[in-house]
Amino acid sequence: MNKPKKTLFAEAMEQHKGIVFKIVNSYCQNRDERQDLAQEILTTMWLAYDNYDNEHKFSTWMYRIALNVAISYYRKDSKRVGRASEDEECLVHIADFSQQEERGEEVMLLYRFIGQLDTLNKAIMLLYLESEPYDSIAHSLGMSKTNVATRISRIKETLKKQFESQDV
Amino acid sequence: MNLDNFKETWQQQNSDTAAITINQTMLTDMKVNKQMKALNNMKWARIIEGVAFFAIIVLLGQYIATDFSLSAPTISAVVLTIFAIVGLAGNIGQIVLISKIDYAKPVSQLQKDIYRVCSHKLQLTKLLLMSVPFYLAYVFIGFDVLVGIDLFPHLEQHMIWIYSLLSLLLLVVTTTLLTKLHYDNIEISWVKNTIRVIVGERLVNMAQFINNIESTHR
Repeated sequence: MNKPKKTLFAEAMEQHKGIVFKIVNSYCQNRDERQDLAQEILTTMWLAYDNYDNEHKFSTWMYRIALNVAISYYRKDSKRVGRASEDEECLVHIADFSQQEERGEEVMLLYRFIGQLDTLNKAIMLLYLESEPYDSIAHSLGMSKTNVATRISRIKETLKKQFESQDV
Repeated sequence: MNLDNFKETWQQQNSDTAAITINQTMLTDMKVNKQMKALNNMKWARIIEGVAFFAIIVLLGQYIATDFSLSAPTISAVVLTIFAIVGLAGNIGQIVLISKIDYAKPVSQLQKDIYRVCSHKLQLTKLLLMSVPFYLAYVFIGFDVLVGIDLFPHLEQHMIWIYSLLSLLLLVVTTTLLTKLHYDNIEISWVKNTIRVIVGERLVNMAQFINNIESTHR
């Protein structure tokens, strides 16, 4: 018997929720913003789930929606939203990123590096680190494969220099 | 240190289930979220504007019908009706565009769609600016409606020439300005500042993002 839509979605979310964690930590500075963005990403995904085509990889579809929401994300009054999210029952809870030393120095360094990139390069880097092929990155972002390759090579070069300067 | 060495460590985070917890029941009960609400509000605003444009078209249509001749007020009303029709068409286009917003689209495509939705205020301002060279249309209709006078026969020949030249000059200036007011030219400081003043910082950021994604040379 086919599983209901809600169950299928919940299972997929549990399996891929790490994507949401990585995106919100790459695009947002503080915890309230992360919670708020995570909520927007998850709800957008749920509302778009009816149109999900099973022939495509779920993680690719999820990345595309999550990146689109993160890039469009706009806060008029972060203080107000912060207070609201404290009062409301939370749909999503993100662990406090600043207290996660156990994540490892390498991952923390990567987040710091990604945080310094511009909006587009952040998206490219996130997809690249997931081992997405160049043409898939190009397709998800709507840019040419050559442009993706050029940008990745520049990002790698910058990262190399940064690590060298920090003696990692 | 090579970036590729980090891939495995990075992907291991996917299995870290403690870092994020989702209330699945709350999530699947959701019917709408902030972005959908914002888009819905925009759609209603466009519908209201569309109704206003439609009302203007009907009023101008009635005005034309009462005096269907080649008089200056009638021609002015026709000109303003054309602008109102363009405005109404723009609003209908916006409503269709908002309905088609799909977050599963490639990033560049969706950002362009959102830019088009968010730049509505800019488009309205452009429409108003486009009508500036036809400022005499407002004057002729105003005189006819308020005072009941067709101003054109009372104008001297040299004044008609001056007003016509001024309109032509304004047409050149506004056309130049309006063609420049586009995200392609966001790096030009006056374009950036004008868009910032009319619509806000968000649209400037979006324009810069779209330019960045379209650029193959950077």
